[in-house]
This record gives sequence, structure tokens and C-alpha cells, in this order.
Amino acid sequence: MNDEFMLKAWRTPAPQFARQLREQLHRLDAQHRPRAQPRRAVRLIAYAASVLLAVGLFAIPSVRAGAEAFLDLFRVVNFVAVPVEKKRLDVLQQGLDLPRLLGEQVQVLKAPGPPQAVATLDAAGALAGLHVRTPAWRPVGLEPGPIEVTGEQTYSVTGSSEQIQHVLDSLGIEDLSVPPGIDGRVSTIHVPPVVHVAYGDRDRHAMLLQARRPEATLPPGADLSQLAEIGLRVLGIDPSEAHRLAQSVDWRNSLLVPVPTYVANFHQVNVQGSNALMVESVRSNGRPVVGSQLVWSSGDAVYALFGNVHPEELYEMAQSMQ
Amino acid sequence: MSSNENIIGSLSGTAAAEPDWEAVYTEQMPRVYNFLRYRLGNESLAQELTSRTFEKAWCYRQRYRRDLAGFSTWLLRIARNVAVDHHRTRHDHAPLEAAADAPAEGTPEEEAIVRSNFERLSVLTAKMGERERELLALKYGAGATNRAIAEVTGLSESNVGTILHRAVQSLRDAW
Repeated sequence: MNDEFMLKAWRTPAPQFARQLREQLHRLDAQHRPRAQPRRAVRLIAYAASVLLAVGLFAIPSVRAGAEAFLDLFRVVNFVAVPVEKKRLDVLQQGLDLPRLLGEQVQVLKAPGPPQAVATLDAAGALAGLHVRTPAWRPVGLEPGPIEVTGEQTYSVTGSSEQIQHVLDSLGIEDLSVPPGIDGRVSTIHVPPVVHVAYGDRDRHAMLLQARRPEATLPPGADLSQLAEIGLRVLGIDPSEAHRLAQSVDWRNSLLVPVPTYVANFHQVNVQGSNALMVESVRSNGRPVVGSQLVWSSGDAVYALFGNVHPEELYEMAQSMQ
Repeated sequence: MSSNENIIGSLSGTAAAEPDWEAVYTEQMPRVYNFLRYRLGNESLAQELTSRTFEKAWCYRQRYRRDLAGFSTWLLRIARNVAVDHHRTRHDHAPLEAAADAPAEGTPEEEAIVRSNFERLSVLTAKMGERERELLALKYGAGATNRAIAEVTGLSESNVGTILHRAVQSLRDAW
């Protein structure tokens, strides 16, 4: 087939255009650095959440960066958000070295391994054992990117009354005592595979995570409300409020999400009939920035959607999930 | 091994290897640019969408996986999505008007010939269906093989060959 005429219109890009585009690409890296802000917020939230785990509920290695760690903490139907001040987090992180204390109590029984790239949502769903849902609506230009699946994870947490008492003593909490029968009791946490779907354009990005609901096996007779009250107090919640909250929440299907108030604020929203928690990042001076995380559960699955798109757009994406 | 495979080789040499971006850029940018140029029939728009394509690829470059697609196929998929997205949100424009604004690459005579051929081809392809135009742009703008076109579009390789054969025949008759 003679098709040479088709090539007569081919031309080399103008050198000036090629140079300008190359320069623009190199500038992009610098422009994308501010994206660290929402990730930092998520990391801090994950860290703060891990404080509760220190008292023997459900622990994973603390301060694991990123939203995966956030999702790792799910075992929930409901979310209970608690504001935490920077001062208290500094004490927990630096004064108590809580990451080290937590690490001593946690054993990784099955590590997730590196993420596995897959070509289709169906393939991701097959690996994760769930029907992968995606937003039917996206902000204009925000295109689906790569799909990955992280493997299942299993952790064991061994209770230690000595560790808990050490934390309480260090924080000057004298009116609470560690429940008996914690020492040596092992809880296990199984986190099913997590599907990651990325979305992005030149300036914005979003990530949707979903997984079957993680399961935790707790020692029989564990007094969750008593442990939760300790956790709330460790986070700096007022004693009467901590007691009220500890007694009024069903801790067997609720996740306590400590939100560092100096990097994020939060409010509850409704996503397709399910309660969801919207956490919006803020600058340290209180000026809002575009960056948010939305977490919710539906059916047997849990979801997290986060990125540097406007919170309302993130919410619209979640509402359009199908 | 083609130069394209060399680029991919540099991508997969180690687990976390960074692409040789300069090599990728030099090799692939003209292909993406001409794909969009053939596809849209507009020089300045092709430049704009080429920029958008490479910016997306740049942002996602850490996430490129060789087991998903060849690098050029991956890049063409992005370019194709950028073009589709443009069609979804575009303001209608007059094709070819901006062509005269693009700086000349060769001698004025050579540039005039290329421009004339481009205008002529654009007028002819404008009468064809979207699918034919896309396949022609992938074949002659991006220089993709029928197999690569099949991977990008989801059509079978034989179907790609058939559609292209008919389209080129039709264009040659009218040329």
C-alpha cells in the first residue's frame, strides 16, 4: 500500500517549543512540593490514632506514613473524631517516644509486600476480593491513573499493663487504672488487600483506597470502654468528656480518629447514606489550603479518598461512587 | 533492539530506576506532538496538548510499570486521553488557523511544502470518522505499529489494519 503521502505532513517540533516544554517539566517538580501538606496531615492523624493502639486495642507499627496507614486502622462502621493539640502530640512523640513503645508491642505476622500493579479494576477486585467501586464523577481533567493492590497484612499486639501505666504516669493521669488481665494477652489484626486507584492532572491528584473491612480478634472479656477512656485521656481529652465518650460509643465497631487541630479540621458528612469523616488540611496559621481526606465504610468495605482537590470535589467524587 | 526499547531498558534496569528522561523526551516528544497534530489538525493546539501529555507523564513517571505497557504505548494512551478530554471540554476552533504561527523548522520552502501538505491532509481527514482519524494519527503521526495501535485503542490488530487500509486508500484517491 502506497502511503508515503501520509508522511509528507510530518514535521519536527519547533526547537523553541521543545525547549520551553523541557523547562516546564523541570519546573513541575518544584511546583509539586506543596503536596506534602495533606500527606503530612494524614501522617500525623495516623500517628495520633496509633496512640490509642498503645493501650492494647488494635496496634500496628506507628508513624507509618501516608494514607495507607490511615486505612490500616479501619475496622469500623462509625468514626469518632477527636481534636488533639500539637502540644500533646509533641509530648507523646518526643517526650514518651511512643513510636518505640508501640513497636515493642507489635509483631508483624504477615507483611503486605510491595504494591502490585494491575491493568484493570476487575483484576484489582479479583486480587482484593471485593467489587472495586470508582467515582462516576470527577473534576474535569482529573484522569484515572495507575491501579495497584497491596497485599494482606496481619499483626499481633501483645498487651502490657506496665507500658500503659508508664504512659499514664508520664502524663500525670492518676485517676485511671489499667484494667486487669491485659498482660500477655494477644490481639490480632488482619488487614485485607487494599486497592489503590490514582487520579490526577498536571496540578491536582487524588487517591482512592478501598478494602474489605479489616478484622481484629480481641482477647475475651476485654473492657473496651475502659481502654478507650485511657486512650482518650492520653490524647488530652478532658476527663469528664473522655468518660462520657468512652461510655456512649460502641468501640467494637467504631474507630477513634484523632485529628491534630493545627494541621486539619474535621466534620461529619453523609456519603450515600453512610456516615463519613471529612478531614480538611489547614495551614499552621489557620488559613485553609486545598487538601482533604474523606473516610467511610459501606457494606463490608472501607474507603478512603484523599488528595489536593477541593473538599467539595472530593465529596462529589465519593457521592458518585458506583 | 529499537531506541525505544533502549529507553525502556533504562527504565527497568533496577527496581526503582528513574527513566532517562532526556532520552524519553527526545525520542517520544515528536511522536506525541505529531500524533496530536494529525489528530487535531491544529499546530498550536497540538503543542498545548503535547505539553499537557508530558506534564501528566512527568507527574506519573514514578508509577510507570513496564508490565502494564511499553513506554511509548503508555505515553500514547495519555496523549489519547488528553485529546479525548479536550474534545469533551473544548471550545470549537478553526483548524489550521494557528499553523502559520508556529516557527518554521526547515527552510521557508520546505516549511511551506509541509504546511501545504498538512492543510491538504487535514481537510481530507476532517471528513472521516473519529476512529479513522485517531488510527491515522497513531500510525502516521506517532509512527506506531498496528500492534501498538491495537494496545492503545483496544481494537484487534487485524481490525486496525483493515480500518487503516481503507482509510489510506480513500485518502489516496482524494489526494
